[in-house]
Amino acid sequence: MSGPALQMRGVTKTYGTGALAYTALKGVDLQVDRGEFLMLVGPSGSGKTTLLSLMGCVLSPTSGEAYLFGEPLHGRTESQLPPLRLRYIGFIFQGHNLLPSLTATENVALTLELRGYSHRDAVKEAHHVLDRVGLLDKRESLPEDLSGGQRQRVAVARAIAGRPPLVLADEPTAALDAQSGMQVTTLLKELATELGNTVLVVTHDNRIFHLADRTIHIEDGRIVPPPRA
Amino acid sequence: MSVQGLAGASAWSRWRTMAGVGVRMMFHDRLKLLGTLTGVVFACLLSNQQAGTFLGLLGKNVMFIENASADVWIAPPFTRQFQGGKLLSDAVLNQARATPGVAWAEPLLLQTAQVQLPTGGSEPVSLVGTRAPRFAGGPWNLVAGDAPVLAQPLAMIFEDSEREKVGGLNLGSVREVNGHRVQVRGFTWGLLPFGPAYAFAEETLAREVLGLPADKHTFVLVGAAAGQSPEMLAEELQRRLPQTKVMTRGQYRGEVIKYLLTATAIGISFGTSTLFGLLVGFVTVALSMFSSVIDNIRQFGTLKAIGATTWDLAKLLFVQSCVYALTGSVIGLFLVTRIAEVSRNPNLAIVLPPWLLASTAGTMVLLCVSASFLSLLRLRKVEPAMVFR
Repeated sequence: MSGPALQMRGVTKTYGTGALAYTALKGVDLQVDRGEFLMLVGPSGSGKTTLLSLMGCVLSPTSGEAYLFGEPLHGRTESQLPPLRLRYIGFIFQGHNLLPSLTATENVALTLELRGYSHRDAVKEAHHVLDRVGLLDKRESLPEDLSGGQRQRVAVARAIAGRPPLVLADEPTAALDAQSGMQVTTLLKELATELGNTVLVVTHDNRIFHLADRTIHIEDGRIVPPPRA
Repeated sequence: MSVQGLAGASAWSRWRTMAGVGVRMMFHDRLKLLGTLTGVVFACLLSNQQAGTFLGLLGKNVMFIENASADVWIAPPFTRQFQGGKLLSDAVLNQARATPGVAWAEPLLLQTAQVQLPTGGSEPVSLVGTRAPRFAGGPWNLVAGDAPVLAQPLAMIFEDSEREKVGGLNLGSVREVNGHRVQVRGFTWGLLPFGPAYAFAEETLAREVLGLPADKHTFVLVGAAAGQSPEMLAEELQRRLPQTKVMTRGQYRGEVIKYLLTATAIGISFGTSTLFGLLVGFVTVALSMFSSVIDNIRQFGTLKAIGATTWDLAKLLFVQSCVYALTGSVIGLFLVTRIAEVSRNPNLAIVLPPWLLASTAGTMVLLCVSASFLSLLRLRKVEPAMVFR
């Protein structure tokens, strides 16, 4: 594969119709290169979540053009998006969103099995990535038996398992203390560098900004230049 | 191994994956599991108890026909139940005996008689008169004595469970039936139809007690010769005896059941109770599964976000439904069979034939799968984007 990981040209996203219509993104132009470690920042209601949802193939743009590893996202129905998510994207959610009934291994292996791994290979890969995030000894633990930092590390393991080319992280440090937040983001950065993933982190946490290769600012549905220090 | 190049899981492995997640989710939320299983168990218990009682009542009405050892019954015209009606003449008995394919033909008497109680008053019995030495239509399920004792003078066999009701009967007790002295020579168990309990006497004594002439019979019972089809024999006998109603054992049984279902409210009454049990189970399971989906909506959103489709979630619900249904059926059927055992008595038996138990599991799967549709409708609307909010 060659070309940028993600490309957007004049992308808009409008929710609702008529008088109730609300435009969350207003002509976004953006390019993310392969292997970049980006942070997306902006105030509440600026359109961060909508932009993340478009990048994550959980929403389709209303207008404009968007490409994920060269594959057009525009013009697709939402039922056509799950295969793209499986193929290209690993997710880290704000609240870790691990399934509470599954062990750490099973949470990681689930995504892999949905992608077509055999159960045996999925478990093997899950153990490998749990080892990489330092939680192999917790592989049979349920989320409720893990600390907040450990849960988020399992979420990181789930996101990078199978080496998806793009990892999207939504406020990964929001539920963590400063030390754990820094550890998780540093771990994510190290793994992304090692595995060659493109990573985009949505965050408010200015303590981790320095880890980014580039920071994208969004305000009122538009990409804006970074504010002067 | 890398994500790139993978075409996605095969249909079978997706089923297995979603089944695994579904079962783990079920057993993680034990309170919901208990609630849903209670609904299935209740539906299973109530519907089987009602259906079993219904079958027990049907059985009471046809048990004589099933146990009389006759292949073909010759009854008065328009007979729809097992009870005495217009009497048949001796000519019917002789004609039956003269018909090719008939191995034997015997008369059977059936009328209500009154047993005089030692304390005064009387108690009715359905007195059956059966001819020695074959005793066709004679007593079965005997707990004391045997059919040949009826050949002894004044001998009668009564129902064991009615002994106290008929004045504390014991073997050797002497009573008056319709003013005729008789002696207790045996007891049956469980021969209680809807009406008075059966009591048995040899034909001659029965005629005396009932005041029936020697050439009149309530039924004529026919045994088919070896290799003779009862259906064809019944057709031939009907052709020769057009003034009677000739039925094979199965036809007579069917006739009585049809009468009970169509001419009485028993079918509607028990059918309604059974459906009510299933309905309550359906509502409980539907609400419980829906509530579980609402409680875990974020988990389902996560599943969708990481690549599961609505169809995958439908598989998850289907597997959960089947596990609920089968687990609930096992528990429900265990309980209902225990209840049937404990409550079994001659007055009312809950009859649970294997086909009813087997069909229960199928019905419960249907019930639970149907009940899961409400949850599926909700899951269909779950947007994966919700996990970013």
